[in-house]
Amino acid sequence: MTATDPATTPGQPVPLDPSLAPPGTRNFRDAGGIPADRWHADQNGETLVPTHCCFCGVQCGMYLRVDRGGKVFGVEPRNHDINRMRLCPKGINAYQQVNHPDRLTAPLMRRNRDEEFREVSWDEALDHTVAEIRRIQDEYGNDAFGLLGGASLYSEKTYLVGKFARVALKTRHVDYNGRLCMVSAAGANKLAFGIDRAGNPFSDILLTDCLLIAGSNVGECFPVMTQYLWGARDRGATLIVVDPRETAIARTADIHVALKPGTDSAFFNAVLHVVVAEGLTDEAYLAAHATGWEEVRKTVADYPPARSARICGVPAEQIVQVARMFAGAGKAMAWHARGVEHHSQGVENCLSIINLCAATGNIGRPGAGYGTITGQGNGQGGREHGQKSDLLPGGRSITNPEHRRQICEIWGIDESELPPAGTSMMEMVWQMQRKEIRGLVGICNNPFVSLPHYATVKDGYDTLQFHAQFDFFLSETAANAHVVFPVTVWAEDEGVMANAEARVVKHNKAQEPPAGVRTDTWVICELARRLGAGGKFDFPDSRSVFEELRVASAGTVNDYYGITYERLEETGGIAWPCPSTDHPGTPRLFEDGRTYHPDGAIHLQVVEWHPPMDPYSEEYPLSLTTGRTVAHFLSGNQTRRLGALVEQTPRPWVEVHPSHGFRNGDPVRVVTRRGSEVFPALVTEAIRPDTVFVPYHWPVPTAANALTIDALDPRSKIPEYKVCAARIEAAPHIDEVPAPPTAPGQQAYPETQVSRTDPLPPTSPQGRGTSERS
Amino acid sequence: MMGRTIFIDPGRCIGCQACVSACRECDSHRGKSMIHLDYPDEGRSVASFPTVCMHCEDPVAPCAEVCPADAILVTADGVVQQADTTRCIGCANCVNACPFGVPKIDLQAKLQMKCNLCYDRTAYGLAPMCATVCPTGALFYGTLEELQAERPGVQVADSFTFGSTTVTTGVAMVVPADKVQWPVPGGLPVVEINGKDVR
Amino acid sequence: MHPYRGRVTEPPKTAEPAPAPGPAQGPAPGTPAAESPPRTPAAVRRRATLAGTAVSVLLILAIVFGSRLLRDFDSALLPYAVATVFLAFGVAYRYTVWISAPGARRLFKQGRRSFFSAANFRKAPTALPKMTATYLGFQKFLGARSHARWAAHQLVFWGCLLAAAITFPLTWGWFTFTSSTGSGPGYEMRIWGFKIIEFDALSVLGWLMFHGLDIAAVLVIAGAAYFLWRRMRDRGAVTGQRFAYDLVPLIALVVVSVTGLLLTFSSIFLHGGGYEFLAILHMVSVVFTLIYIPFGKFFHIVQRPAAVGMQLFKYTSRRKDGEALACRRCHEPIDTAPYVENLRGTMRDLDLGFDEWAEYCPRCKRVLRGNAYLDHVKKGF
Repeated sequence: MTATDPATTPGQPVPLDPSLAPPGTRNFRDAGGIPADRWHADQNGETLVPTHCCFCGVQCGMYLRVDRGGKVFGVEPRNHDINRMRLCPKGINAYQQVNHPDRLTAPLMRRNRDEEFREVSWDEALDHTVAEIRRIQDEYGNDAFGLLGGASLYSEKTYLVGKFARVALKTRHVDYNGRLCMVSAAGANKLAFGIDRAGNPFSDILLTDCLLIAGSNVGECFPVMTQYLWGARDRGATLIVVDPRETAIARTADIHVALKPGTDSAFFNAVLHVVVAEGLTDEAYLAAHATGWEEVRKTVADYPPARSARICGVPAEQIVQVARMFAGAGKAMAWHARGVEHHSQGVENCLSIINLCAATGNIGRPGAGYGTITGQGNGQGGREHGQKSDLLPGGRSITNPEHRRQICEIWGIDESELPPAGTSMMEMVWQMQRKEIRGLVGICNNPFVSLPHYATVKDGYDTLQFHAQFDFFLSETAANAHVVFPVTVWAEDEGVMANAEARVVKHNKAQEPPAGVRTDTWVICELARRLGAGGKFDFPDSRSVFEELRVASAGTVNDYYGITYERLEETGGIAWPCPSTDHPGTPRLFEDGRTYHPDGAIHLQVVEWHPPMDPYSEEYPLSLTTGRTVAHFLSGNQTRRLGALVEQTPRPWVEVHPSHGFRNGDPVRVVTRRGSEVFPALVTEAIRPDTVFVPYHWPVPTAANALTIDALDPRSKIPEYKVCAARIEAAPHIDEVPAPPTAPGQQAYPETQVSRTDPLPPTSPQGRGTSERS
Repeated sequence: MMGRTIFIDPGRCIGCQACVSACRECDSHRGKSMIHLDYPDEGRSVASFPTVCMHCEDPVAPCAEVCPADAILVTADGVVQQADTTRCIGCANCVNACPFGVPKIDLQAKLQMKCNLCYDRTAYGLAPMCATVCPTGALFYGTLEELQAERPGVQVADSFTFGSTTVTTGVAMVVPADKVQWPVPGGLPVVEINGKDVR
Repeated sequence: MHPYRGRVTEPPKTAEPAPAPGPAQGPAPGTPAAESPPRTPAAVRRRATLAGTAVSVLLILAIVFGSRLLRDFDSALLPYAVATVFLAFGVAYRYTVWISAPGARRLFKQGRRSFFSAANFRKAPTALPKMTATYLGFQKFLGARSHARWAAHQLVFWGCLLAAAITFPLTWGWFTFTSSTGSGPGYEMRIWGFKIIEFDALSVLGWLMFHGLDIAAVLVIAGAAYFLWRRMRDRGAVTGQRFAYDLVPLIALVVVSVTGLLLTFSSIFLHGGGYEFLAILHMVSVVFTLIYIPFGKFFHIVQRPAAVGMQLFKYTSRRKDGEALACRRCHEPIDTAPYVENLRGTMRDLDLGFDEWAEYCPRCKRVLRGNAYLDHVKKGF
């Protein structure tokens, strides 16, 4: 067998050095964008700064390597007890953001969107922003100006976002991107337990006998958490995975329930039905610790396995199996994530899982319990201290008069000055379209990629008269703004985050920000000062904000009072509630059998399944579900600029079952009622035939969220990302991934973008194999 | 099998490629990743398969044996080093002789490169980068006792069969207890597996 | 039916894994990595001794006759001449042992065949000189590793070449410089007694003739100093280096060059002060360096031409059929068919029973092994 040699062209002489070697052995293009001969490995001292990863809710510990010149140049694993030195590819490459050539280093400004950005002084940008805020609020009222925060900010900054909106902007319209992430679980937790956090720490997973993971691709979205899953199995635990796709953890699970997207509550109701029917409930526990069990029991009686099997598209026996395995285990535990939460009945899906745990008595014991896996680094902390439209610091409700009074006292404002509850992030976009909101400041979010139904989002933002954005890389959203403030990356400031276990961890500052870059805290305080509220925003650094946050949360459910920077550095993290400085924190909730409701009981809620909001039809027979891939994070504004991660997964794809007749790499058009886009097909048996999957980290014209539906859960207002009706068809050519936006006159760091135009899908959802890289 | 070595368990691997990124961070070959991560069951499942140098013990390092320039050294404790930069002539003999498909080659630099078990880290008592960060423990560095302490009852095999030849290696793989007495199939077509005729 | 089918019927040998030795035994930084025990057969040792002896004898004869029966031989340089004889023995011995190993022998033969092929020469007369210039002279491949290292290596390389070109013939008594006018400044240079050129010692040419070694020393010091500096600072180099292998050669080069320069310094500025001592120091360092060449890092000087042979072989076989052998499974090119055949021969010589495997690309080897593991060992957790 011979093959034509790629290094020679017919008719051309053979080059003297006929470079030839088999695929995957010869190139070092996978060197993360650093050409092999350009890496300067000169020793220039080394200090290891202990900190945590900036990405997901696991919050792995890591050391940043800092040279004598004060520059971050590498990463070293850290034996923190959350991750025990393990890191995922995002975490390993995170440090490359710090001194990345794409960083914004001067404020960008323009008077209208037809102009190019120009670099301006901080004074000019701040003054213009304040003038626009004043103009809009004078003309249309205070509520015509909105503020959108983010859950990758340190808790101190999320606290400032909420306070800035209420005290400096005096607007009701403040919300944050955790609305796209965590709120269903938060809503369910509040309803059932009166406290919004996971019930058990990760380490409890190692003690369980049966682990149920619902709607979470742990292997890709929380890779380091996988060690707890495997650790439990090493000790004999069984694993049940509920996911439409056969993910890396589902592949080897004892039971993989590949249900149809949008049918979770029907499935869990049926499981509970079997548990009841087979007498596996813990009646004593229910009688002592739960209310509403009678109603729940009656409801699940309507969900026999045969019925739910039809709805979910899974065998009825599998439902019985899951029920026996979960309820039959001595200690069972359920964790879930966006897969069940991103639905128009996200809260109900979570509640149906809580019902299952409570009915089997699996709450508040070592190895038995319930948790939700937060997506963003500060997904937990970011929702606790008042940047959510209906919450005030300490998880207080903005509609509760007592809570309002407490906060007004702490903030030193009159109660009449405190605005009422606002609306959710997606609703704010609709209000922008309706011109109810005319100006906006966005901090740490990229809705052009992350919100559903891109056309609506673009229209909403384009309708704004003024839009300012805080960013360290120019995001797709920021590129559409009037003013962009260049702010610090996580390693250039200190602060705390709370991970998925509600463990508060301390991030340390590893290097000074580049010239021209300011911390978010500085920018917020500076805007507040120019808006005349400077007295209430006298915060020179994160520590001073944290001191106020501690006081503001004291005595609430989310009590941070006992947590100090010093204690965090000593202990490696403290789980709230922690009411006093000698309190050890609360890693596991409900150990005394009491919830945080006044009656101390679990309030079980009745859940009825209903179909997804986007109806299936002849024209749109398939389910489109979206999600993440391991090499990228959320809207990709960070990870799409890191060479190694682009190398691993350069572009999105559409995952289709072989029964549709496509071959790997074929251009496939995915059509929904909101739009259509062409992706290369990744043909695999690891997905249901009636379902297609597209990862969402890329912008239009390769954005999954140009296709998704902007339907919301009525309670949590989370968009229904995880299911909409779609069809697929052959297309002539794929849509190309655009380069990440950059400041005017610059181009995205070319070495990192080499493989972005690769027309092929990755080898597997986790990325391209190391030999498949061009 | 070496005393302190890497143990590979592809069953735990989630294919995240943390090892691939981590390998680049190793100071002795910064920016260049030596580890291979393949998805062998492409189109059927997301199964993944990491490959580090197996540090062959018997025959000792086929890559070193076929090297015409004596460029590949084996340390006293069995670690097969990457090519010596002054000696390697870039002929790729090692690349194509290695039964595990491990060595890589920089054709322009006329230099072979491969996993060296992170001697720059192990010398200081640290685990190799890949095994340090591996989120799942699919790559584990330590002694067999340490592995078995973490994973009760786990068994390993350190021999692989290629056709009629068996290669014993310094790096071992996790195998189920009922298959521990047979070498791991190396991939060349075989007629008998685990004592069963498969013709 | 696959032609190469085997059986997996090994006796139980891994059920009870051998007790593992204690904690990490990785090489401590700075300690040499031991080479795998050389398995040099007695026949090869005999042949190597013979070759070494023959080359040494030839060199002695060349010295004797080249110096016109020692008439031109400078007895003050005797230790150097003796060192070169040892060097000749060592290099010939090591070379013979080296190319007796299967991998080198086969490639050596292929390279030699391509080298002496008249057809080759007719078809591509410039290939060999070009390759020699690229790989041996300008060492382009080093530029791909690092531009700075390439530059430094070029300095050391040309410096050493210049020094060798001057000193070897001098110590062997092949060159003589005699004053045609009694005490200068007119000089004539003779090789093997034949007059080559006449020059004025005060002219530019004369200065160059007398300071060639100083120029060489400056080149070598600059290059070697960069390498030493790099070995102190570069993380990649620092982590793996061994004193005897990586640092001693550089130190030797620096000592040779510095003492050489000091000799000039002493004779010009110190009126010969300390000359005796410096001369001995210089001689000792030179003799040590020469004797060391066959053993350590410097042996690459002798080995490197193999790169040209290898490249010529690959180039010739590529030009002949223009096609590469494709992987049996994925059909991606592996390398030229004669190269793979040569490698398989090497593997057979070495009793590596899986030479057939060379016709699969490394990726397919891994994928096939991965699938075999999934199918026959365990599919899941």
